[in-house]
Amino acid sequence: MRPDLLEKVSGQAEFISDVSIDGMAFGKIVRSTEPHARIIGMDISLAEQANGVVCVLTGDDSDLLTQTDWGLFYEDRPVIARDRVRYVGEPVAVVVADTQAHAEAASRLVVVNYEPLPICATAEQALAGDAPLLHEDFRPISDFYFKGTARGKAGTNVFQDYLLERGDVDSAERSAHRIYEHSYSFPGIAHFAMEPHCAIARFDHAGLTVWSGAQSPTAVQKVLARVFGLPIARVRIIVPYVGGGFGGKASVKIEPLVAAAARKAGRPVKVLLSAEESMLTCRRLASNITIRTAIDADGAILSRTGDIVMDGGAYADTGPAVALKSAHRLVGPYRLPNLRIRARAVYTNTVPGAAFRSIGGPQAVWATESHMDEIAAELGEDPVDFRSRHLLQRGDAVIENLRPLDVDPAAMMDAAVEATTKGHNRASRGLALAVTDPGILPVAGAIVRVHADGSVEVRSMSVEIGQGVRGVLQRIVAATLSQQPEVVHILDPDTASAPYDWGTGASRSSMIMGLAVEKAAGDAVSKLLALASEAFEVETSAISLAPGGLEIGGRSVSFRDLFHAAHGIDSGDVTGQASITPRSLDGKLAQAPLFWETAAAACTVSVDPDTGVVALDTYAGVADIGRALNRSAAEGQEEGAAVQGLGHALFENLVFDEGQPMTAMPLLYRVPRLSDIPADWTTVLIENGDGLGPMGAKGMGEGGILGMAPAIANALARDHGVRLRDLPMTPERIWTALSSRKPHAS
Amino acid sequence: MDTSVEISVEINGVPVTRSAPAEALLIDFLRDDMGLRSVKLSCDMEICGACTVLVDGLPMSSCTTLAADVDGAKVTTVEGLITDGVLDPLQQAFIDHGAVQCGFCTPGFILAAKALLLRNPSPTRAEIVSALDGNICRCTGYSKIVEAVRHAASA
Repeated sequence: MRPDLLEKVSGQAEFISDVSIDGMAFGKIVRSTEPHARIIGMDISLAEQANGVVCVLTGDDSDLLTQTDWGLFYEDRPVIARDRVRYVGEPVAVVVADTQAHAEAASRLVVVNYEPLPICATAEQALAGDAPLLHEDFRPISDFYFKGTARGKAGTNVFQDYLLERGDVDSAERSAHRIYEHSYSFPGIAHFAMEPHCAIARFDHAGLTVWSGAQSPTAVQKVLARVFGLPIARVRIIVPYVGGGFGGKASVKIEPLVAAAARKAGRPVKVLLSAEESMLTCRRLASNITIRTAIDADGAILSRTGDIVMDGGAYADTGPAVALKSAHRLVGPYRLPNLRIRARAVYTNTVPGAAFRSIGGPQAVWATESHMDEIAAELGEDPVDFRSRHLLQRGDAVIENLRPLDVDPAAMMDAAVEATTKGHNRASRGLALAVTDPGILPVAGAIVRVHADGSVEVRSMSVEIGQGVRGVLQRIVAATLSQQPEVVHILDPDTASAPYDWGTGASRSSMIMGLAVEKAAGDAVSKLLALASEAFEVETSAISLAPGGLEIGGRSVSFRDLFHAAHGIDSGDVTGQASITPRSLDGKLAQAPLFWETAAAACTVSVDPDTGVVALDTYAGVADIGRALNRSAAEGQEEGAAVQGLGHALFENLVFDEGQPMTAMPLLYRVPRLSDIPADWTTVLIENGDGLGPMGAKGMGEGGILGMAPAIANALARDHGVRLRDLPMTPERIWTALSSRKPHAS
Repeated sequence: MDTSVEISVEINGVPVTRSAPAEALLIDFLRDDMGLRSVKLSCDMEICGACTVLVDGLPMSSCTTLAADVDGAKVTTVEGLITDGVLDPLQQAFIDHGAVQCGFCTPGFILAAKALLLRNPSPTRAEIVSALDGNICRCTGYSKIVEAVRHAASA
């Protein structure tokens, strides 16, 4: 059983928003109301005099900071706006007070005078030749958190320009029988984690300690060390349970600002965002994708081009990686002899884009899988048959130099089709497939410590964010040590006690941290055997582990007895530790990706012709995960991802009108609810034990989000005769499409 | 603003009388004064259900309810569903069916489901959907929550 669940159902689980630190004050952020403006004046005097106020942090406090700007690809983001704001919601001041209520009241007394600047409201405007520049100065940093360097162009708003190419597309198009081209749009999406962003920062004799709901604690640690001029060893990050993230709490978010407020206040400061503020903190990158496919006279695909333009918002954050991955994820599990995909991400005066479950994946798969069905329809061919003729097989290359495909797409497609065939008309089904290359760095460490009483502590930086990583690590450590799971305790991630780990995201923790704790537990086993061999003067080959201790030549010895014999007192411990690097497993982890995260989705829908309201009637999702380390949690990852995909498909849209967020509050932003979920829902997990992770597991958790939107669009096209190319597929858009349908269409 | 009111309320079976500001919200009263941290603040506008508590057996959003308005009532949080260390069947079913991921919405869901089962011990799927449609879960995709409630109802 997952050790976190009992705490969570009984109300004992401590989330970051529940954490309280002695002497802490509360910070409320004052945010820009302008999408792009110079700050020409700020009056904080009333706020400073207000009841309970400790201090007000503003852009004039740069002397508190060793480095005023930070980022992961570019150091483009000020800790706090100095003389300029670039999006509505950008922090311009933090009012710190003795209570949350006092901080909120005083925050309303801060007066900011802005001089508006011309804005880039959309990606198209940002790409125009005469567009105002959001950042005059590009300072890319390489291999900082992600591998590589972003390819932005100084003097433009383009902060990533990536090209994926093979073969000769131009020749292929010249020889083509038919060429099909379509464009698809995908809006900005809010992560909408149930727990908004929250962090607590404290400076003391030991340095800086930050409690945060962070998915990438070591990235937070590294950035804070730079911002405050501290050694990494003096920056400590602690992560309790996190109330959902989905990428929105990955990399670094509010921590530098909260720490700056604490430095100015001279006491610990907690900042808990409201749900609206979280929606103004980060979002999925919106995209416009034009995709073109050349077909020969036999209906075989000759080439594909893609032109991806992503709206990255005011600061790059992880956007360069999102754009790069969107290019990879546009390819699909198909034989495409010639390929040219360009992915650009641009700055706009909107909320910064960021990682979101399968970065760039849903945007790309929405385009490529809608496009596949559109071609099949043009060819008069069943979409399953059209895909079948082009499907890659296990061992084929999706993209040159990447790991060959480690799944069988045909088997996945068949499973999705089979699950939605019962009682349904085959012609009504919508289908979508996807392959994605998780951007996983195989870099992680773990410590497994066996105590004299038989309890085992596991120190790792993997964050329990709902995926059940603590249960998986517990299972692996218990199995490796031959102990009962209940004696294995997974500690809260704390950089002061756990080794470096790249972060919790990209479907990596069960696999990579799983390997790390397996190896660390193995190290503990070796040390226990060596200790027992010395203490009892027995060959290690005659010793084995058993629940509660060891078996030595048929005799049971408790851990307490072992330490008593070894140390003279019945106390002590054995510490196993291990690192996973690209050289681990004889170098098998060196090639990217560590596995292909794949998806097959199929569904049927019904539409109310009078209102355009669409209902999902049947859904099946298929994932090849190697091995389920916790079946119920694995199914839950798959189902939860698919329902987030349902939000992308039908409801969710962070609308910006001339830079003003129009829907960035829970009241105006519709996420899927229980009544949107059909009873007829099938989750298929394919387990061949062929992953590189513990027990043959691959990573998982992102694939389920990929197929939903195109599957629904394809079902709408086949069963209702309307082709939607813009998300979300709102009742208005569907009704309008139904109304403009040709009368004879069905 | 300084007006205090005396509130007498039975919280998880224990009678409590406290003075609280008249404008105090029930969620702050429960979390800050009573230390009941299972009551979660999320949307703060009564649309997500994370702050749901039972007031005389009915689900209410504590983020938009004044503490003073529950004077004389019985308030239940998930801490109060545990009897002599034994979980309520709903709590156990949420564990057994994997109806929990991050856990932030979980107390609200369990209490909304509890309110349903108190008035309707054998709900249909449609009745479960109707009763829980005011609670948002961003993690699970909901199917396992329905499974858990159905199982708890039939237990």
